Amino acid sequence: MKALVLGSGIDALVTAHTLARAGHEVTVLGKRDGEPSPHTGWIARRVIANLDLERHGLSVEWPDPWVSAPLPGGARLALWRDVARSADEIRKLSARDAGQWPKFCERMQAIAGVLEDLYGAPPPDPLTHTPGGLIDLARDALRLRKLGRQSMDDFLRLLPMSIADLLDAWFESDVLKGLLGAQAVMHLAQGPRSGGTAFNFLHHHVGSPAGVFRQARSNVRDVLSALPGIQRLEHEAARIEVQDGGVRGVVLDGGERLAASLVVCAGDPRRTLLDLCDPGCFDPELLRALRNIRSRGVAAEVTLTLARDPGFTVLALAPTLDHLERAYDDSKYGRASSDPYIEARHEAIKEGAHRAHVHVQYVPYALRDGTWDDARRDELAKLVIAKIDQAAPGFAASVLGHSVLTPADLEHRRGYPQGQPYHAQIALDQMLWMRPVPQLARYRTSIEGLYLCGPAMHPGIPGATGANAASVILRDLKKSK
Amino acid sequence: MLKTTPFHPRTAALCRSHAWRRWAGYVVASVYELNHEREYHAIRSSAALFDISPLYKYSVTGADAARLLDRVATRNVARASVGQVLYTCFCDNKGKVLDDGTIAKLDERTFRMTSAEPNLRWLGDNALGLDVAIEDVSEKTAALALQGPSSRAILQSIAASDLAALKYFGIVATTISGIEVTISRTGYTGDLGFEIWVDSRNALGLWDRMIEAGAPYGIVPAGMLALDVARIEAGLMLIDVDYVSARKALITRQTSSPYELDLGWTVNLDKGVFVGKEALSREKHAAPAWQFVGVEVDWDSLEALYLEAGLAPQLPSAAWRTSVPIYAGDEQAGYATSGGWSPLLKKYIALAHLRSEHADIGREIEIEVTVEHQRKRAAARVVKKPFFNPERKRA
Amino acid sequence: MADYDALVIGGGHNGLVCAAYLARAGKRVLVLERREIVGGAAMSEEVFPGFRFSVFSYVVSLLRPEIIRDLDLPRHGLHILPLESTVTPLANGDYLGQWSDHDQNRRELARHSLRDAEAYDEFGRLMYQMARAVKPFLSMAPPDPASLAPRDLLGMVRIAKQLRGLGGDRFHALHKLLTMSAADYLDEWFETEALKATKSASGIIGTFLGPRSPGTAYVLLHHYMGEIDGVFRAWGFAKGGNGSVSAAIAAAAREHGAEIRTNAPVAKVLIENGRATGAVLENGDEIRAKLVVSSADPRRTFMQLVGPEHLPDEFAQAIRNFKFRGSSGKVNLALSELPNFTCLPGAGPHLRGAISISPSIDYLERAYDDAKYGEVSRRPYMDIVIPSMIDPSMAPPGKHVMSIFVQYVPYKVNGGWTDAKREAFGDAVIDTVAEYAPNIKSAILHRQVITPADIERIVGISEGNIFHGELALEQMFFLRPVPGWAQYATPVDGLYQCGSGTHPGGGVMGASGRNAAMAILKASR
Repeated sequence: MKALVLGSGIDALVTAHTLARAGHEVTVLGKRDGEPSPHTGWIARRVIANLDLERHGLSVEWPDPWVSAPLPGGARLALWRDVARSADEIRKLSARDAGQWPKFCERMQAIAGVLEDLYGAPPPDPLTHTPGGLIDLARDALRLRKLGRQSMDDFLRLLPMSIADLLDAWFESDVLKGLLGAQAVMHLAQGPRSGGTAFNFLHHHVGSPAGVFRQARSNVRDVLSALPGIQRLEHEAARIEVQDGGVRGVVLDGGERLAASLVVCAGDPRRTLLDLCDPGCFDPELLRALRNIRSRGVAAEVTLTLARDPGFTVLALAPTLDHLERAYDDSKYGRASSDPYIEARHEAIKEGAHRAHVHVQYVPYALRDGTWDDARRDELAKLVIAKIDQAAPGFAASVLGHSVLTPADLEHRRGYPQGQPYHAQIALDQMLWMRPVPQLARYRTSIEGLYLCGPAMHPGIPGATGANAASVILRDLKKSK
Repeated sequence: MLKTTPFHPRTAALCRSHAWRRWAGYVVASVYELNHEREYHAIRSSAALFDISPLYKYSVTGADAARLLDRVATRNVARASVGQVLYTCFCDNKGKVLDDGTIAKLDERTFRMTSAEPNLRWLGDNALGLDVAIEDVSEKTAALALQGPSSRAILQSIAASDLAALKYFGIVATTISGIEVTISRTGYTGDLGFEIWVDSRNALGLWDRMIEAGAPYGIVPAGMLALDVARIEAGLMLIDVDYVSARKALITRQTSSPYELDLGWTVNLDKGVFVGKEALSREKHAAPAWQFVGVEVDWDSLEALYLEAGLAPQLPSAAWRTSVPIYAGDEQAGYATSGGWSPLLKKYIALAHLRSEHADIGREIEIEVTVEHQRKRAAARVVKKPFFNPERKRA
Repeated sequence: MADYDALVIGGGHNGLVCAAYLARAGKRVLVLERREIVGGAAMSEEVFPGFRFSVFSYVVSLLRPEIIRDLDLPRHGLHILPLESTVTPLANGDYLGQWSDHDQNRRELARHSLRDAEAYDEFGRLMYQMARAVKPFLSMAPPDPASLAPRDLLGMVRIAKQLRGLGGDRFHALHKLLTMSAADYLDEWFETEALKATKSASGIIGTFLGPRSPGTAYVLLHHYMGEIDGVFRAWGFAKGGNGSVSAAIAAAAREHGAEIRTNAPVAKVLIENGRATGAVLENGDEIRAKLVVSSADPRRTFMQLVGPEHLPDEFAQAIRNFKFRGSSGKVNLALSELPNFTCLPGAGPHLRGAISISPSIDYLERAYDDAKYGEVSRRPYMDIVIPSMIDPSMAPPGKHVMSIFVQYVPYKVNGGWTDAKREAFGDAVIDTVAEYAPNIKSAILHRQVITPADIERIVGISEGNIFHGELALEQMFFLRPVPGWAQYATPVDGLYQCGSGTHPGGGVMGASGRNAAMAILKASR
């Protein structure tokens, strides 16, 4: 069957290649996006195996130490892949916390394992009446029960908690709590005291080894792009053609028409359904739900070119939970944080050239007192450089140039709605069977042959989402035969 | 604290009974005189004037106005011609009726929609991506209904346009003594009649002009009690009384599809996508579980029940609006939702929901009546609606 | 050997409800109350001569109708008068009213937004359905999902059936209610800031969360809970103040044979061979009973009255982690005249309802910001009622009592609570009220200011949390107060809990006390 996949990100390519391997004729539409490589994130084992990515040169790299933070007096706290080594570092701050560390890592790993299982398949449907669906549900329930009382209680109790409450129950060191708390608010329009941030923490922990609370980097994007077996067209889709409730093809931005009875979109569902399709095709309840998807971008990407190695792999400036909370406070009222959470990752590019990729949070999509312009972008870059310089003296002097992408820029450049890279914010009300809205949670739309496979879909982890979408599509195709 | 309609200064002065009723947050007269008898008979013999301003009214304009209305209504709005009024259902995505009302095509890009319940949010939600402006003109627009055999003569004496040319369910923009109005040949009585739509600021002038012109013809301001009797005779259903809006229903069983309300004729499955289409086409093929029918109570049977108690039949003069069980043998076949004595037909009639297997015309059933605090069953029969359908309505 | 079948520690409304149900079933019951009067936080007191106050809890929210019926409380003097409206004064001198009459309410909302006026009814219908869905869970002992006991398994199956029976729309709506923030949830429905803020305020009461924090949407439901029992406008005042609720329950308990002893503070629960066998009073008296039921909050019960040495480590740790974080205070005023609100001058019907100081979500969020860092909100959220407007016997003729519920007032205020701080808090409250009702300052005859520290000291609730532990998702249902121990029994044989710190907790509801009594009676059968 002829299939069109809209988008050129990881999920689009995973979906396209999976369909191609099942014998379909797949064309991928879309300009190669501006997403950064290396990619930061977990690559599901299933995706690696199915598409044989390792043979095609996939390399996954875990920075070690995976994070470091400045300590008063110029020292640094570094956390390593080796749990014992991290515990030794933590002992400098608190013997009690060092003692807790291994147990904490183990407990978090156990819960993340439950999520990992749930993420490896289309979301469970708690309302299903089909025998297959009921079996899946029973399997999920059993899996949860098999965890034993402690992990099961943890799972049920932790997800809705705030990360501040979770960490306060385990640790006393502010620096440690700040470093861990930062992962819990990553790309989230919430502060560490908000409910549900413990879930975000665990969500981002999925796929990482015990004791590592930052994600891996990989060249998966490049590997997927180079993978043979699909056609690519450097065109954007302008319109999806629908007739009699079924998809008929796509009209390109140049006006050319491509016929297809299977179209899979990796874009944000709101844009896909409202702008590319005729919204009149959809049920008003769905339209209402689409409008209500929360996709608030809160982070800017600052890229700094450096004259030399900055002396850190990953440097995080989130000294306390209160620091994160205050940074969040600013954004609630439409201001960029005056003292943001900053996390810089070092990347060595060839011939002694260096770069730092800096995550800056909270930077709102829309400012209450104006708009994002170059002056404000430069101001943000200056702030970031100055803050890093305080923690790594001499850093400012090594900066050769900067570029700043605010949430608004990210929307424009990469199609992140409101700058939210997960398209639909990671939150308990937008996960599993609720992601991105219940009517679309199974990757299908009400238009026959039109599917969604982007980050807004379950589980919202690049690659895993595309694989789930492809599995649903293939199952549907088999059924309709 | 209740709202009053733009006609209130006049209607209040006339309301000798002090009997008012709430309608959509407004007060309107239930009956002006001490009982509604004269008001009812005016509907069927001369002309009755009703204040129907509490109806919700929306102005829908723009290039996609017809598309929006086609999306929410079951009838084909795109095919309507300028000057036509459509009576239609509005359904939800499960094909259950949310509301019923009219859509008047005033010009190629301007429509006026009326409904019993507010629908601004619903229209707004459905207008996503369409080039259309929706305005709630409920308060800006006042409305009168002039109903009865003399209504055309009265209106013609003051209206600038030729009303003989105005067909049943047609609408025309014209003036009455210089006041800009639109006149539609519509109503809620099943008789010859018109509805007159006017800017609220000109409401009192219009009222005075109509009363003045109507005096020689015996015009009578009439209230809701009289209207209720007439609309039952006409077989016209009333939201909240005869059916529950799917928006208000607390359980699925309370909802109804147009087919179950005898409004299948308003459903056009040949037009493009509209809200509820899929569910409705399924239901059409499967046949509805319920029917909305006319019921005529057998007078002899009723009389016999009263006779047993030593009484002559005693019926309330006003129509009732309660749920009354209907039986077919030992089984409850359904329930009547409104009914009453028709002074014109001299019949005891009701509108009822019956399970489809009991709903054929002519079917013998029994209806519950309470005679001297005892529940009894009177014989009744399913009959064709409307109970009264004069030729002048369409002529 | 045992003097009683059951000892109930604490004479708050839940303790009394539990005692009354146990006594009604023929048990010999003794209630031990620390203070000189029963009622706990549900009590009335003539604080100033002639002026009676519901000192702490001030409205009857969700007192279970079955309790009113079972215990025949009206015969014992209970009369709940309806709370008619909520009016939110706005900064621009206007107001937003929510009235009990549908037409009046719609008209008022339409003044602010036609769309919201329509959405309001649909929202109400959904909440009604959600409340119906949740109601069965309120009166059940939550099953333990990790247990293999047939009763728990059956319970879980019942819950699963119940939830699946809701159907897609409602199931998903319930999911959203449980996991979203009140602000986000209401954003999906309404556009009027004051409406969203006033509604969301019910989601933050008694928690240490802002309206934008997930987990605050669920409590929106509580406002609709009353309606499904056929008790429209279930929110109201008890005639005579909330003390009359407690008094009525106490009277019912006594009539069924329960004994109630005041001025009898318990020092320790007697534990022998791992079993609770009675209590030791502070004066050294020992009273023995077959079982002991504590209506004190979980921390007080287990850390003080029982002692961690009698508890499994994990359990003790879980109790330590149970969040209290009192965040609300009260200011009670005796007034020489009615407050005159600028937005609605004069003595209108709005004074018979609640006045909510919640003009916008940002306002509430800023109030929370202060508290997060250990300060009292400079401009707090307030829920103001004037009980003497509904029950004139609360004040001398022509005079009035005003109750101001205030949030956020952190228990852990920077530098700790002092008398000066308390009065400064009182001043801040009065200053804010004066912005909306300028005559308030000159009308004040007396003022009583209550902080969470005062609630802890006087009523004995840890950290002054009005719900005996925050009503956060991770502390509800089978997680309240500790996973595996949500069925009123405790790790100590013969010791039960019946306070608000157990499921469902919160408000003058009585469900915890009743559920606990049912669990005890079932176990002793």
